[in-house]
Amino acid sequence: MAEPAAQTAFAEEALTHLDTLYRGALRLTHDPDQAQDLVQEAYLRALRYQHSYQQGTNMKAWLFAIMRNLFWDRFKGSRKEDVSLDDVGDFVLYDKLRDEGAKPEADVLDKIAASEVVAAVDKLPPLHREVVLLVDVEGFSYKDAAQTLGVPIGTVMSRLHRARQQLQKSLYDYAVESGIVRPSGQQDQVQP
Amino acid sequence: MRCEECGDKLDRFVDRELTNTEALEIQLHLEGCPDCMEHYEFQEHLKRLVKHSCDCDVAPQAFRDKLRQILS
Ligand SMILES: [Zn+2]
Repeated sequence: MAEPAAQTAFAEEALTHLDTLYRGALRLTHDPDQAQDLVQEAYLRALRYQHSYQQGTNMKAWLFAIMRNLFWDRFKGSRKEDVSLDDVGDFVLYDKLRDEGAKPEADVLDKIAASEVVAAVDKLPPLHREVVLLVDVEGFSYKDAAQTLGVPIGTVMSRLHRARQQLQKSLYDYAVESGIVRPSGQQDQVQP
Repeated sequence: MRCEECGDKLDRFVDRELTNTEALEIQLHLEGCPDCMEHYEFQEHLKRLVKHSCDCDVAPQAFRDKLRQILS
């Protein structure tokens, strides 16, 4: 066991990454209580294995890796086969909007509520979801994400690309359902 | 640079994963190509939207306090 002062310093530094771990756990488990359990266990494990953390390397990535490995062990029985994403092909929100003459396309995004975006992220299969969390939400580099997830950088890139396509499809479906955009082929109606 | 190559590199451009030289090439293409520029702005916007939407969740203070106690 490390000296108490060293342990406290380690714990304090580790706790600066708490929001990142909690957000990740919340998006993975979809449950605040389970997220707290998962994060707490991850921190206890990190403390126990702090000797394996190399000073000067990315502690946030190291902690996240511990948390997500626990998640897969506990909730998925280590079986990392993923629910495959529907093949959305080239279907992307951007292309649909352009086909429909909605300009500028980015304005449509401003009309989508944050809760809908979170719901779309939550709908992604976990292996794709965690890449979006790391790269888009937490700003990890591809290299750090690859290391955290234990996969090659090419896998990070392909999962990210497919996840973003799927996100766009979910957001497009939502935008149509909620009347933010009209689906192709539907005539504009003049409001009385 | 052709639009196809620009499209292939757009993810990495948005994620700041290209070398300076590659990024500059994309930048130059975007400045001369409204189509790719719009696509880029859309992707950039989407990335920001995902970040800001998920950022709202932070660890509850009580949980933070509890962890600090457990870990010390
Ligand atoms: Zn172009």
